[in-house]
Amino acid sequence: MKKAKLSGSDLRAPLIAELEQERRLLLDLGNDITRVRDKNDLITLFKKRIKGLFYFTHTIITLIDHKDETYVPFLLDNEGSPIRSHPRYQEMVKSHFPLNEPFIQVVLQADEPISFLLEDIMDKPQSPSFLRVNYEKGGREILMTRLMKVGKPMGFIHIYSDKPDSFNNEFRSIIKGITPQLSSAVSNIIKNEELLAKEKEKSFLLDFSSDIVTVRTKEELVRTVRAGLSKLNPPGGFVIRRINEDNVTMSPYVYDLSKTQDPKVVSALENARYPINDGLQNRVLDSSIPLLFNVDREIQRGITSAYLQYWKTMGFKDIVGIRLRNGETNHGILFLDIGEINVELLQGICAQISIALANIFAHEQINKKQEEQAFLLDFSNDITQSRTKLDLQNAIFRVLDKTMHTKLAMLRLIDDDGIHLSSFMYDETLFNKAKTNYDKKQSDRITIDETYTAQVLASKHGLVFNVEEELKTGNAYAKLWKTTGLKNMYALPLRVGDKNIGTIWLLANRLSQLLLKGICAQIAVAVANIQANEKLLAYKKQLEVENDYLREQIKTIYNFSEIIGNGDQMQKVYRLISLVADSNTTVLISGETGTGKELIARAIHNASPRRDKLMVKVNCAALPANLIESELFGHEKGAFTGAIDKRIGKFELANNSTLFLDEIGELPLELQSKLLRVIQERELERLGGKQTIKIDVRLIAATNRSLEEEVKTGRFRSDLYFRLNVFPINLPPLRDRPEDIEPLAHFFVQKHSRNTGRKIRKIAPKVIQQLRSYTWPGNVRELEHLLERSILLTTDGILHDVYIPRNMDAEKQDEAHLLNRTLEEVERSYIIEALKRCAGKISGAGGAAEILKIPGNTLHSKMKKLGISKRDYFV
Amino acid sequence: MKIVVIGGTGLIGSKVVAKLRQQGHQVIAASPDTGINTITGAGLAEAMNGTDVVVDLANSPSFEDQAVMEFFQTAGRNLLGAEINAGVKHHVALSIVGTNLMQNIGYMRAKKVQEDLIKQSGVPYTIVRSTQFLEFLKGIADQATVGNEVHLSDVRFQPIAAEDVATFVAKYALEAPINGITEIAGPERFALYEIVARYLRHTNDQRKVLSDGKPTYYGGEISHSALVPAGKAEFGTIDFEEWWSKQLQKA
Repeated sequence: MKKAKLSGSDLRAPLIAELEQERRLLLDLGNDITRVRDKNDLITLFKKRIKGLFYFTHTIITLIDHKDETYVPFLLDNEGSPIRSHPRYQEMVKSHFPLNEPFIQVVLQADEPISFLLEDIMDKPQSPSFLRVNYEKGGREILMTRLMKVGKPMGFIHIYSDKPDSFNNEFRSIIKGITPQLSSAVSNIIKNEELLAKEKEKSFLLDFSSDIVTVRTKEELVRTVRAGLSKLNPPGGFVIRRINEDNVTMSPYVYDLSKTQDPKVVSALENARYPINDGLQNRVLDSSIPLLFNVDREIQRGITSAYLQYWKTMGFKDIVGIRLRNGETNHGILFLDIGEINVELLQGICAQISIALANIFAHEQINKKQEEQAFLLDFSNDITQSRTKLDLQNAIFRVLDKTMHTKLAMLRLIDDDGIHLSSFMYDETLFNKAKTNYDKKQSDRITIDETYTAQVLASKHGLVFNVEEELKTGNAYAKLWKTTGLKNMYALPLRVGDKNIGTIWLLANRLSQLLLKGICAQIAVAVANIQANEKLLAYKKQLEVENDYLREQIKTIYNFSEIIGNGDQMQKVYRLISLVADSNTTVLISGETGTGKELIARAIHNASPRRDKLMVKVNCAALPANLIESELFGHEKGAFTGAIDKRIGKFELANNSTLFLDEIGELPLELQSKLLRVIQERELERLGGKQTIKIDVRLIAATNRSLEEEVKTGRFRSDLYFRLNVFPINLPPLRDRPEDIEPLAHFFVQKHSRNTGRKIRKIAPKVIQQLRSYTWPGNVRELEHLLERSILLTTDGILHDVYIPRNMDAEKQDEAHLLNRTLEEVERSYIIEALKRCAGKISGAGGAAEILKIPGNTLHSKMKKLGISKRDYFV
Repeated sequence: MKIVVIGGTGLIGSKVVAKLRQQGHQVIAASPDTGINTITGAGLAEAMNGTDVVVDLANSPSFEDQAVMEFFQTAGRNLLGAEINAGVKHHVALSIVGTNLMQNIGYMRAKKVQEDLIKQSGVPYTIVRSTQFLEFLKGIADQATVGNEVHLSDVRFQPIAAEDVATFVAKYALEAPINGITEIAGPERFALYEIVARYLRHTNDQRKVLSDGKPTYYGGEISHSALVPAGKAEFGTIDFEEWWSKQLQKA
């Protein structure tokens, strides 16, 4: 009994000691387990602490994945595990072992650690493969314990031994005892790992962020992104594509394609423009989350974008695409050569890249703007220095080429009439392919109501015509535009202040509106300046011409403005002048040479409402036939050899005034028809010019020929004659108005004595008598010149003598005259002539009767009858 | 087949997952808890890898109009986008009978948007429109309770057991996509207030159910027949009494 008792207490004592030892052991282990922070600590715990107490070969911990009801290796004893050399080891590490099989279900149901002999279970249907793998590497027995977390199984501890029956009760009880602590240790490790990973991500993003804020250029971006991504995944490639300005394509912006060195491929990728809506890029841009796609699958899907093929050849299988977006704006896409997605991290990275991109774009934009502005400034300089159209043209062509890589299709200016537009400037090289067509088009003068011009002039900042669309709507110009291959026609109104001065047309694929506006504003001002300049030059030219002309006139014209003579004949002329002067009627003045046709023309002009303007005179006989045309109508620069400058014709010069065509009878026939046209149409064209110029000119023509005769002989066009002969004024010859000779003589004597500085007080009566008895074939002009000469020869203040011509020509003329005279006239002048020669002695020796061989009385009676007084023959 | 069940840990989801696993398919029960989030996209692409069928049973965590709309739009876009990338061959989604008839209700508008996204996605699909679940009866009673009275409409009501819903969904997931809408309902049709009254009697609930005669459901005005299938539909086998007895067994 005692013994029994003893033995009982003997038994109890070791049991107590055993329990006590177990309790201490548990306590120690518990303490150690609470210190476990990571997987290593746990491994060490098993290997160093527990292995020291009990026999086993190695330990593995697996975790349940509720997602697919499997369990996967979590903690592997990398050094102690004998199965590491097994060929299926890697497979084991990666495997998901289903929970849905008898072996693990038994473990799941068991509340306590449960052991199996591998031999018994490893070949059962559905048994996990790791049992056999362990067996093959010497494992014999396995002790399985489930790890629990808030009442649910979270994983298993697998303890292996290479000896059967090696897990004694004490060991089982210890394991059971530490399982809850191991469970929480595993939970902690998982949590810790998650925290660490998060921490790593955070600090990575922070580093990345601080790197990326310094990024200012594309090159820096490549460097930073490459450095950043290389920390994350095994070095693969990435490419950032940006959305192009057209908003329908994307191009690679920065990239790191370490996988390919083939320069052909790289350059093909680099320069490509891929349509955004290619079926893949648009998917990425539309997705708020990163997309993982398979290159082969996308190709099979039928996406034809070339980059997929390149990726395939470069060996990319899976690619992640993430949109780069700032606020609501997509900037581009980041493509990464990785097979898995850490959403948070990628989105963090992409947010940073997006910001950097936005910054770089803004930076690039600013630089571009600055460059553009600098250029605009240069342009502005160039333009202020252009004084001529050529300067301006050079400046415009240069600025268009440099800033916008475009050429001037057309610059039209509104004419002075405010209705028409004429071509001012264009770049001939632009329409090389359609040269003839374009030249034709450009020379067309259009009006401001022309459909397209009207739209442009009405628009605020101009219009863009899409060439293709215009072709469809049947725009005739579009065909021409099409030949350049450019997509859009930019048309802007040229304005100075709010006044339209023309339109400018530029063909390009795309132009910066802002720049365009700036340039056009400057062009408008410059063109307006040039126009003003040209006008100024034209006015200046006209003034010069007028001035020259006036000087010439002052030299040549008779320097009096009065017409002398009050005889009946002249009274008739005066009446006609006063009748016709007020109207615009064409006047034809005829009369012998020297009768004062120009004076009469001048009198008409001076009495007309046009008197404020200068009357313009053209002597048709004074110019060679080939020059008369340009003299009359003017010519453009380059109209003929030697036409180095533009010339305004006399007709234009006489606009709103009177044109006096002297010696009209001398006008060559071919010019007569031109003149006729101008008179009829009241408009003309300069030689070599395309423009028609309207004119308002009053015509006065003069001739000393009988135009009727000329018409009859075919030297003068009858139609022109009738046009001119609207209001004929015939000037009487001087001999038909002898009563005017004396006042004329006085007038000329006064005029020339003043001019020559000789004082002639008086004209001798004999002189007057002589002047009256002369027939004056040269009329007034002859009278004036005769007196001028006589004055010069006079020395004593009294004009005693005049030198009436007595030469052969005069006699011949006299003969001609004589033939026209009546017998009485002939008789009278012959008697006077005889009396003069006889110094007034009528009869007797040396008397006139003797010369005439008639009796003295007869002569007396004839003199009485013919009214010959002493005055007639006494000189 | 590899099948991903979005919302695979929920009421219907867990049952569908279990049924499909029983038939030997590799099934991923996707939910934010298992690391697959259709809103953030986390784990989505990996889960879709090699997947043949996706069953979308996810529901919005909030029922406020705007939130529901955003949930179904975002989740729908992300999920369908990932499916297209992964080449998923069948998308099965659970919707509600009468969705198109109740567009005055925010939740229904959101479900309609979800349906439309699926139709437009290009992924072969089957939309399963179900009537309300028998499991909703308590909730319906609670939201209509004023004091000790439950004011409910007399709209037609044909609730189906979650178990039946799961069976149907699993069936459709394994069949070829119909690229259209199919409707499922319970085997019995009631007036809404009747069945709720019956349920309360079974649970010994003292609240009194009154028919207010108004055609409403969760406060939204609807037609009397909006909640029940109008044309062809498939009917579950579990009637109210059978369902109730199973509820008792579980408890």
